[in-house]
Amino acid sequence: MSLLGGTRSSRLRLGGFGLLIAVFAGVLVAAPTGGGIDRILTPGFVTRSLEMATPIALAAVGGLYAEKSGVFNIGLEGFMIVGAFTAAGTMFALGGTSPTQAHIWIAIVVSVLVTAVLTVLFAVLLIRFKADQIVAGLAVWFVGLGFAPFTAALVWGSRSSPGLASVDAVAFGQSPLVFLAALLVAAGWVVLYRTRYGYWVQAAGENPEALDTAGVDVNRVRYATVIFSGAMAGLGGAVLLAHAGNFVGTGQTMVDGRGWIAIVAYLFGNYNPVGAAGAALLFGALDMLNVQFQTVGIDVPARLVNLLPYAAVLLVLTAWGKTRVPSMVGEPYETEE
Amino acid sequence: MSGADGGRPREALEAAADRLLRASVLERIGIGIASTTAALCIGLIIAAVAGYDPIRFAGQLIAGAFGSERAIARTLRSTTLFVLTGVAVAVAFRAGVFNIGVQGQFVVGGFTTVVAIVWLANFVPGGTLGGVTLMLVGSLAGVVAGGLYGALPGVMKAYGDANEIITTIMLNFIATGFVGWLVAGPFGDPEATATRTRRLPDNVGLPRVVFDDPNLSVVGLLVMVAVVVLVAALMARTRFGYDMVTSGYQDAAATYSGVDAKRMIIATMTLSGMIAGLTGALFVIMIQGYYTDPSGIGNYGFDAIAVSLLAANNPLGVLPAGLLFGGLESASSHVQINSDVPVQLIDGIVGLVVLFVAAPELFRMIAARTGLGGEGE
Amino acid sequence: MTRNAPAVRLDGITKRFGDVVANDAVDFTLESGSIHALLGENGSGKTTLMSVLYGLYDQDEGTIRIGGEERTFESPRDAMDAGIGMIHQHFQLVKPMTVLQNIVLGHEPTANGLVDEGDARADVEAICARYGFDVDDHLDTPVEDLDLGTQQRVEIVKSLYRGAEILILDEPTAVLTPQEVDSLMAVMNDLREDGRSLIFISHKLDEALEIADDITVLRDGEAVGTVSATNATEQDLARMMVGREVLFDRLDREDDPGAPVLEADELRVTGNRGREQVSGIDLTLREGEILGVAGVQGNGQTELIEGITGLRTPDSGTVRLRGTDITDRSRRARIEAGIAYVPEDRQTEGLVQEYSLRRNALLGNQTIAPYAEGGFIDWDAVGDHAESVIEEYDVQPPNPDAEARSLSGGNQQKFIVGREIGHDPDVLVASHPTRGVDIGSIEFIHERLMELRDGGIGILVVSSKLEEIQKLADRIAVMYEGEFIDVVDPDAVTESDLGLLMAGQSLTDRGSDDGSDDGTDSDADGGVTA
Repeated sequence: MSLLGGTRSSRLRLGGFGLLIAVFAGVLVAAPTGGGIDRILTPGFVTRSLEMATPIALAAVGGLYAEKSGVFNIGLEGFMIVGAFTAAGTMFALGGTSPTQAHIWIAIVVSVLVTAVLTVLFAVLLIRFKADQIVAGLAVWFVGLGFAPFTAALVWGSRSSPGLASVDAVAFGQSPLVFLAALLVAAGWVVLYRTRYGYWVQAAGENPEALDTAGVDVNRVRYATVIFSGAMAGLGGAVLLAHAGNFVGTGQTMVDGRGWIAIVAYLFGNYNPVGAAGAALLFGALDMLNVQFQTVGIDVPARLVNLLPYAAVLLVLTAWGKTRVPSMVGEPYETEE
Repeated sequence: MSGADGGRPREALEAAADRLLRASVLERIGIGIASTTAALCIGLIIAAVAGYDPIRFAGQLIAGAFGSERAIARTLRSTTLFVLTGVAVAVAFRAGVFNIGVQGQFVVGGFTTVVAIVWLANFVPGGTLGGVTLMLVGSLAGVVAGGLYGALPGVMKAYGDANEIITTIMLNFIATGFVGWLVAGPFGDPEATATRTRRLPDNVGLPRVVFDDPNLSVVGLLVMVAVVVLVAALMARTRFGYDMVTSGYQDAAATYSGVDAKRMIIATMTLSGMIAGLTGALFVIMIQGYYTDPSGIGNYGFDAIAVSLLAANNPLGVLPAGLLFGGLESASSHVQINSDVPVQLIDGIVGLVVLFVAAPELFRMIAARTGLGGEGE
Repeated sequence: MTRNAPAVRLDGITKRFGDVVANDAVDFTLESGSIHALLGENGSGKTTLMSVLYGLYDQDEGTIRIGGEERTFESPRDAMDAGIGMIHQHFQLVKPMTVLQNIVLGHEPTANGLVDEGDARADVEAICARYGFDVDDHLDTPVEDLDLGTQQRVEIVKSLYRGAEILILDEPTAVLTPQEVDSLMAVMNDLREDGRSLIFISHKLDEALEIADDITVLRDGEAVGTVSATNATEQDLARMMVGREVLFDRLDREDDPGAPVLEADELRVTGNRGREQVSGIDLTLREGEILGVAGVQGNGQTELIEGITGLRTPDSGTVRLRGTDITDRSRRARIEAGIAYVPEDRQTEGLVQEYSLRRNALLGNQTIAPYAEGGFIDWDAVGDHAESVIEEYDVQPPNPDAEARSLSGGNQQKFIVGREIGHDPDVLVASHPTRGVDIGSIEFIHERLMELRDGGIGILVVSSKLEEIQKLADRIAVMYEGEFIDVVDPDAVTESDLGLLMAGQSLTDRGSDDGSDDGTDSDADGGVTA
């Protein structure tokens, strides 16, 4: 299996990728009447794109594991909000408004743990109590949108935190979290395609009966992936915060749809961690391109450019049909008695 | 269903079946009450932990929802939106099509209504008659736009085999983003400081009867009741409704009986989108008066999924379920002004209600363990 | 396992589902190193028996011995640990995963935490080499890209990789092309020679005779008998399968049917798997006539019926109702034109289980007056219809508000038959009209069908029960591989001849032409016009 998988559907997916890259390039070429490409594709742009893509890629890898195993975790956005807030709260508790780098790292770990614990409850509702995955996932989003700003208001007297601290760059002006994410994406790929656990994850979502008759407990696999997806979304949220340096709880909070984009990213990457990270990078760059255009004074409707990922998914789903959605997503599994 | 024949001797089997049916309606109500109670209890505990007086907070919730004429008006206003969007969801779910895109259809419908009215106002004379004309034509535009926006994922599902859950979620974001851009740019009011369209002309607005509230009209409530009754009648009394509900129960039986499955998917999505579009129209005419950035107008279309689920996708059941959500939203407006408890707590509580509604098995198990309602299943 | 102890010995296995006895004190012995065919019609209890052996069901009575040792299996995993592998009709394969990954799933060899593909590959290639499987060329191909025959071999290799000594193959030839069947037979032979023991579930006589050492025939949940394949003939097996104890009282035949009501010309229909299932059917059904279609399931009967009733669009050919071409009409238009249909699957098609009988009385009648007019339903008229069907067809309980699922199979079926003929159709298509129905209801439904025929309706009956077809039909068309292989006179034909025809052998080849009807003529491509 090549890095992006060898099946027909992923070749089609590459077509989708190509399309989006073409649009991206098209925007680049068509727009810069006011400034040269060199003014847009600056090293800072690359750095910021990577930074922007990191939280999305992390949540996407988590989400695709859950969905591959047959559970649609539509609550990624909610878990990212929880992750971002927990990281901010922990940082503030440890170091007030001037936390150290160590505090940041502790905050990230705490945030992953807290989200993981909350996801356990969510996983029990989904798997043990066969909750409706769509509605329960939306509920997680609402809960995050409500309780994170609520707690922020309790702690800081406002829905947003004061300035805390962001993580220092380690090499090439890049945040260590970007490297961490790259590592996790690679590990995500290896585990999914090269270990027995990865085989089980794939089988749990495609043909749970085949896995069951092979002697593997389907629901245990699903618990593991759902909890992993929550932890990864929490990590994504914490990373977002560690880059931004303060928590914003107004409107859609600082997560602002990144959890949803993560779902789009893995759909686009055809459930392949590397593909999903690639899509996340593309979306991150698209977002940053907007900022870049603004900086050099080119007027592009940022809002519309940000819709491209969604439109691209619609196109891929409809025109190429047959997205390789695991066939048993959303179906609770019960062993035959 | 028309007149059950009570005189016939009842077989034991059939009586048992009846008990089951009654139990499941009771059970449904029980789950609704249990979900709400559990969510509220958690909310009150959180309030207490955060150092607020939970009793006082509970009191404010009730006062905010039903405590005064103003509160009731506010509750009914939100209820209207929740009930209508809830019916939109129920229509689709009943037919076995998972329209998660009611929010987007609601946004597109409302925005189109504003644009249509503002543009037509240039050609229609002022005064009441002109206003009524504008409202009717504007609402029609909203209904059509919502219907088309709902039909789109229907077509993609029927002919492209695209999963409607994912496509409708994507279309929600596209609706919000695109309309947001239109409101900020091409259709923005150049004279307004806030991001919004031009206001609807003064002669567009619903009469204030019974309620002296600028944002609630009896007409709106009548529209709500009319839609509920019409949809209930459609399902119970018409061929289309029978085809639709049968498709939801057992698609093989529907196909056997002559239903074209692809067309039914598109028709259902269109109808669902039309109701969502109508809700959007009512929202702008009765409440907003202009269109603003849709990312800030609330999650009616998402909460509607919980409303519909709570009502077991029954259009009549949507009334009490919508009232519950309306009451909570109204209470949150009250709390925002009259209490120092951060109002986001109520958003969180609503989230918990939705979460519990999604997991009826949880309460079935608790009921079975505690021996409550043990007869249920 | 000792050489002389049988690989599997089932004693007095009884399995009930509610009141239905699916297996009634069945004895079955699989000798070690042999192939034992389990033969029977659909619903005869073959799969239930094997599910008991494979740990999917608990038997109510009886014992299982493996290699002489008594065992109880809680789950398929226990059965697998005891060396039993089952190849289901629906393959237990993960489609997007590769062949190799599927084979080792759950038993992956690992090295340094990663799956040791080299090790796995070597093991699998060894198995393939030993049995001459060609799947080793495809080890890195996703399973979904393989044809069904190869997928089936992957399943077999998977079982062998897990160490299965006893293999159960559930109707393995049902999904295969003739060439694939030949190569499967060769594989089974190799496995036997290697000392494995195989159970071969089938309803095809020739295949059982070709490959098996012993053949056990099941009928209505009972083991009718076990014979050695060397001594048995197809006629013997056919007789055992279809039974002869029900000597039906032949009813009056209609000698002089009226004008043609339903005609099909050169009808070709593709089935769900994308294969042509109906390959040029010609038939003429006349007023006041019952045309019976006999055949082993899966020979295109379902697709033929769906092509006629409008549930499936034919690839080519025409369907005419009273001379009008209705080939392009929708299902609904055909209902309105007067084609009533008692479907094959009453549970999922014929009735909405959660609906009351009253609501079910409307199913299929949504556009028929007086039940619906102008898009509105007249529930009073529907209710009257429900009540009259209930009364006339003696549906129990006699309550139009009872939910369909609360009724027994027989009462459900009576209700469907009553509903379907309620609006004076020209044609009634009835698929397995009495499958799973109690004796009393069978008689009742048969009588009603005869009455309808006498009233001038043309009836097309598909059934795998020969006695039913012989009792009801005025002519019997035997369907084999998408064509009518022969059309015979039910009073003249013998059961064993029918059995032969159903097995794809023409009677004229054997020199006995007792059945050919006068309307019979040979078609260009070998099919016969009915």
